[in-house]
Amino acid sequence: MKLTTKQLTLCAVLTALALALSYVENFLPLSLAVPLPGVKLGLANIVTVFALYALGAGQALLILIARCTLGALFAGNVNALLFSLLGGLCAMGAMALLSRFRPLSVYGVSVGGAAAHNCGQVAAAILTLGNAAPLYYLPLLLGVSLFTGALTGFAAGLLFRALEHTSLMKA
Amino acid sequence: MPMRQSPGTRPKPADALVALAVILLAAALALGVWGRGAGSGLSAVISVDGRVTETVNLSLLSGPEVRELTANGYTLRLRLSPDGVEVLEADCPNQVCVRTGAIHRAGQSVVCLPARISVMLAGTTDDGVDAVLG
Repeated sequence: MKLTTKQLTLCAVLTALALALSYVENFLPLSLAVPLPGVKLGLANIVTVFALYALGAGQALLILIARCTLGALFAGNVNALLFSLLGGLCAMGAMALLSRFRPLSVYGVSVGGAAAHNCGQVAAAILTLGNAAPLYYLPLLLGVSLFTGALTGFAAGLLFRALEHTSLMKA
Repeated sequence: MPMRQSPGTRPKPADALVALAVILLAAALALGVWGRGAGSGLSAVISVDGRVTETVNLSLLSGPEVRELTANGYTLRLRLSPDGVEVLEADCPNQVCVRTGAIHRAGQSVVCLPARISVMLAGTTDDGVDAVLG
């Protein structure tokens, strides 16, 4: 993939933003309100949604892989890499497909992404553990993803509206 | 920098279809995963590294029993009782298994990923012999 300097810079800024959002998320522990393993807001998904629409699937994928790898490195936790990568790739794939379906707004795309992210993470847990026990939590996690997906969809919607008149969004 | 397509930023009717699909998937999974294993009593299936190491028939316990389980450098203190299982204490970094709390129904499980230990509740059927004591 050939990137212009402007595209490369934007990818780097968005990667940094996604990392910062995943860090900030630790201070808003949704798991205290909803005591389920793996529950979180998924704020970094805002960046994936934005990159998908503004830059296309290729660059969104680059940002995702950079974010997951650096996030696991910074946290010093290689185990977490499998979880964030599988979750992130599932979310990305689902949103790339859903975003082609024009009657959907950013809300539908984002909810689909959040649900797919949970499926990916449970798959990672099943792989790590070697049995299907984590599947027990998936129905509950999917229910929670309706709310977290709508929340990140709302945030992404605000971002798109705020940037509507900038050169970023001009065709 | 061309914007490939600008998305709708307010909810549209079609979004409800995605939500509905997620709800249906959750419901189907709930039926499949939670519906299994209704029996007269419970047993705890303990697995380490993906292999079942022990199956404890909880309905045979006369009272709560605490035991320690060590794997992959972490130790979990489990409380087994006739009506469920609980991780009392774990020295793992994330404490997810402790916060899961007590589990009571067949199909439920409590999992410690750092130690790669999982305890799943299964329903037991009374099929004659429950245990053979030597």
